[in-house]
Amino acid sequence: MFAGQRISVAVFILLWVAALSPAQTPTPNAGYVGSNACKTCHADVWASFYKNPHDQALARGDRPPEQTGCEGCHGPGQQHVAARGGKTTIGHAFSIMQPKQILEDCLTCHAKDLQKANIQRSEHTLNGVTCTNCHSIHHSPSAKFLLAKTRSETCFACHASVRAQFEMPSKHRVNEGVMDCWDCHNPHGTFTATWRMATRPPMVEQTGLNDEACIKCHSDRRGPFVYEHAPTVVEGCERCHYPHGSTNGRLLRRPVVFTLCLECHNGGGTGTRLAGVDLTTSGHNLLDPKYQRCTTCHVRIHGSNADPLFLR
Amino acid sequence: MGRQLTTLILTAAAAAVTLPAQEVLAPTPEQVGSTRGENVGAYNITDSFEFGYRFASVFGNDGLYRSDINYGNGLRLLGSTLTIDSKDGHGRPFDELLLTTMGLGRDPYESVVLRIRKNRLYRYDMNWRENQFFDPGVVISGGEHLMNTTRLLQDHDLTLLPDNRVATFDLGYSRNTLTGPALTSAQEFDTSIVAFPVFSNIRQQYNDFRAGATLHLARFTFIVRRTWEFFKQDTVDSQTAPEGSIDPIDPSVLQTFSRTQPFHGSNGAWLGTLFTSRKHWAVNARANYASGKGDFALNEMATGTDRFGAAANREILVNGDAQRPTLSSDFNLTILPTDNFTIVNHTAVSNIRIDGNSFYSEYDFATNTLTMLDFNFLGVRTVSNATNLRYNPRKWFGVYAGYTFSDRQIRVEEAFNLPGVPNGSGSSLYPQDSTLSAVSGGFRLQPLKPWTVNLGGEVGHASGALTPVSDRNYHTLGGRTQYRTRLLQLGATYREQYNENAPLSFTTYSSRSRQAGASASWAIKRWVSLDTSYTKLHLDTVGGLQFFAGLVSPQLQTGYDSIFISNIHAANLGARFSIGRRADLFVGYTITKDTGDGRSAAAPPAASGTAALLDSVQTFPLTYESPMARISFRLTPKLRWNAAWQYYGYNEQFQLFSYYENYHAHTGFTSLQWSF
Repeated sequence: MFAGQRISVAVFILLWVAALSPAQTPTPNAGYVGSNACKTCHADVWASFYKNPHDQALARGDRPPEQTGCEGCHGPGQQHVAARGGKTTIGHAFSIMQPKQILEDCLTCHAKDLQKANIQRSEHTLNGVTCTNCHSIHHSPSAKFLLAKTRSETCFACHASVRAQFEMPSKHRVNEGVMDCWDCHNPHGTFTATWRMATRPPMVEQTGLNDEACIKCHSDRRGPFVYEHAPTVVEGCERCHYPHGSTNGRLLRRPVVFTLCLECHNGGGTGTRLAGVDLTTSGHNLLDPKYQRCTTCHVRIHGSNADPLFLR
Repeated sequence: MGRQLTTLILTAAAAAVTLPAQEVLAPTPEQVGSTRGENVGAYNITDSFEFGYRFASVFGNDGLYRSDINYGNGLRLLGSTLTIDSKDGHGRPFDELLLTTMGLGRDPYESVVLRIRKNRLYRYDMNWRENQFFDPGVVISGGEHLMNTTRLLQDHDLTLLPDNRVATFDLGYSRNTLTGPALTSAQEFDTSIVAFPVFSNIRQQYNDFRAGATLHLARFTFIVRRTWEFFKQDTVDSQTAPEGSIDPIDPSVLQTFSRTQPFHGSNGAWLGTLFTSRKHWAVNARANYASGKGDFALNEMATGTDRFGAAANREILVNGDAQRPTLSSDFNLTILPTDNFTIVNHTAVSNIRIDGNSFYSEYDFATNTLTMLDFNFLGVRTVSNATNLRYNPRKWFGVYAGYTFSDRQIRVEEAFNLPGVPNGSGSSLYPQDSTLSAVSGGFRLQPLKPWTVNLGGEVGHASGALTPVSDRNYHTLGGRTQYRTRLLQLGATYREQYNENAPLSFTTYSSRSRQAGASASWAIKRWVSLDTSYTKLHLDTVGGLQFFAGLVSPQLQTGYDSIFISNIHAANLGARFSIGRRADLFVGYTITKDTGDGRSAAAPPAASGTAALLDSVQTFPLTYESPMARISFRLTPKLRWNAAWQYYGYNEQFQLFSYYENYHAHTGFTSLQWSF
């Protein structure tokens, strides 16, 4: 066994032992009445709460009220009980709270999730979109994630233009149910992209290998290739493709491929040789139809191990 | 009681609102609302199966239909859902079991989702998907690169001690395969760009194993994860019968052809993350290193006759290995000085290097020449820093602002040995630096509790654009307003994104896209709800061109622009009706209509010259529409009969490549759905 593997095994064993150590002793707090008090009036919520992931902590039975059950999220209920109801008597009534407060309340527990590590700088948070805009804690119709709507309909509620793209002839199969928006996006915010100068991909998730989300499925595009088509690495797949949907085949940005290629291969930009992106050769007579379908010959356009011109 | 009833009614109504306006035919969405199921011991069980026959009748271009829709005929388990939930959270051996399936039985889109969870001990998630992909390849190659493949994806994730407050552990496995027949092409014998169609048997497989641990200590969370990915591509291209050139005037013939190109490799990755969140600050730091290694070989052998009628053959041997180590790290500091003010600073560094040893050798038997090529090195290093400020002085008002700076260095090193090419040996290094500065800002208004308004934008400038179409001088501007109540949701959005790159040294490029849309969802009554949206997507681009063309012989052309204009109007309307307590009816309609640049007739044939050719590809108007209807009858409390019809109509207004790909299709299903 190599040293690195031994260290890994030791770390895992230590973590396992630590995990099995006793939990902290709960400390009682004033104002908490326990979730049982809530059942009386909120029977509709309680009746199916065992299906809610938040019930897990309640089922453990080893945590104080401020960390579990109704009061774990809504705060101490004594005043609410004494007043016989009313939103203003609930410490944390989410329907009347500011987005920032809602976010902080949820992060009390969920901040430890890696998926939410960048939530404070996500575009959703910047624009006041908070947890309860997408998640319905008590009345979720979705099978997972407590979404406020079913699957990608949650996202389409605001992103109608994206829905329109998924209804185009060429598209990723989101409406067909084989994909979801979160296959490619992390709505809670992402780490900085390793492509496109680290800017502007809106919450596009990366793979575990630091690549663009497309590579999760289209793994063969990752390479490494002896001859990379540099823009795919440097600027990402969306340089040539629309990721959601397109009226053009293969999700391309243009209906004919030669215009897509020539808009770069015209000597402009810096190119990889600092002399502009290579022009097509003088033998390529664009008026000849066979030269209008560039990828007929340049078959390995995403990268090749055998040909600098991507011919094989 | 009255209050509970009201809540239930509102919940059901809200659920009705959430039902999508336009969806594919099956499975039929279950009505949601009150709790259902049967109690067995300490568990509550719900179950649902929808089994039926799907039909499809296609007229016109079957290839494009299969590319866009691909539904066929046959019996299907259109959908199923099984949930088993422990009512007290102490079930054995699990507390939650969720199993959903879709399209099983050779639908082109099949999926199975499984979750099994035992409180405190484990959570297992499985996601299995199969996608039957067909593409005629017309756009990219005039039909020479047809694909008829199957992509199979499966993900398995096991989390141990999922809600433990000290440590959790996770194990995962993913598999991704792509298999199936395809057509491709091969250029052989000389450099006059003669390509022959060949058959391709695509075989790709990726296996990914993961193991990780999360430790919570002193309010810090530390995550370490190890990933091993193994991939192999064993696609074989072949041709056994004589095949003529793709070019009809080219007399070349490919007698035999074979190409094997195995590519096997592995990626190992480490991820380490540390973060904590306190009342006034939060920190997260991440480092991710992934090694990448691939070994490859290529053996290509072709025989035939060249364009002069002489016997020709060619063998190409390539072997080598490649590495692609990538390192990315992020440091994110969040400061929360007051309850309504947030400062986030984010620094990221990433470094990608693609390098390796490769020996490319091409031996030309006719001339006894050997061509050798070595590896190209590509390295991309990016450092970026972004600061965002968010201030919410009032519940109804918030602003944000941000500044991003990014520095990127690209290094390309080319080593080559090209016989007969002056200075065609040695190596060249091309380092280049680019910087990007961007300022963003926006605000949020909430004049009324259900009404929000968001406006925001970003202005950026980048130097050293890699390509003419890269972001150089760009801005985005967006706005959104929404009115949301339980029964009524109204929204309107606008977003524009301009990238004005002129002037560059050789050419110009300008891209302007604008999106505007409005949507509404309204649960008018308990028995009727409407959902509709309209979106206008505008795109116009102008890019300078340089290329070779000529009616007699090709000459360098410099005075032309590539112009593309698209004006897409997309709308959908869905209406759902509950008829008594027996039936649900859904009718919907979607349309995507690209009106192009407004011209009513296609440009003259491209054969008349370069200008005509470019004029003919500036716009591509088409209409794609899909009305549908679905009805669901409750036969018994547990049994429903469903029937649906959906029409797809694809109509290109102008033809590309001298023929239309239009089609229309009637699809649908009839099914029985059993549920409790």
